[in-house]
Amino acid sequence: MNNHVRELRGERGWSQADVAERLDVSRQTVNAIETGKYDPSLPLAFKIAKLFGHQIESIFIPGEE
Amino acid sequence: MTLRAVHKRYLREFIPAMFAYVALIILYGAFVPRTESLFLKVVLALLPLMPIALVIRAIVRVIRDQDELERRIDLEAIAIASTTTGFGFFSFGLLTSAVDWKIGSDAVAIWVLPCLFASFGLAKCFVAWRYRAHE
Repeated sequence: MNNHVRELRGERGWSQADVAERLDVSRQTVNAIETGKYDPSLPLAFKIAKLFGHQIESIFIPGEE
Repeated sequence: MTLRAVHKRYLREFIPAMFAYVALIILYGAFVPRTESLFLKVVLALLPLMPIALVIRAIVRVIRDQDELERRIDLEAIAIASTTTGFGFFSFGLLTSAVDWKIGSDAVAIWVLPCLFASFGLAKCFVAWRYRAHE
């Protein structure tokens, strides 16, 4: 699954640590999500969407099966 | 790197419990050779299990309350470490039987826990590395 987390974070001038603190997760988790190494659970995806003020489907793009 | 609250709590719970464990192991080493009482020997041998219950509690609580990727990494590492240690010691048992090595069962049993911790540490490094990307 691809996502726009890195772009959205960059637009706000936040570091990965800033996003991690806001989401109450580790910086490692934010990095793994941004790079597509880890797909977040639905509750965490909702938290990310709420943090950036976007719909989930505009942040996360399903990859090809 | 600052520790998150969940990991600070883990250290607050884990470190005193391990100190208590080590103290009771020292107590075991000091008093078991000096007593003839079987009851006292059994008590001294089983006493270290009490702080281990606190260690288990601390580990379960940190796994439960950390974030989802940290939890996944820990659970994958535990799966690798427990199977590696379990099957490793089983194979070692077969090997000692096959070549007729005379190794005391107590000498083998005492290494199970350190091997489990060490293999967990290595497995965790490996699993975490798999989720880490080039930044």
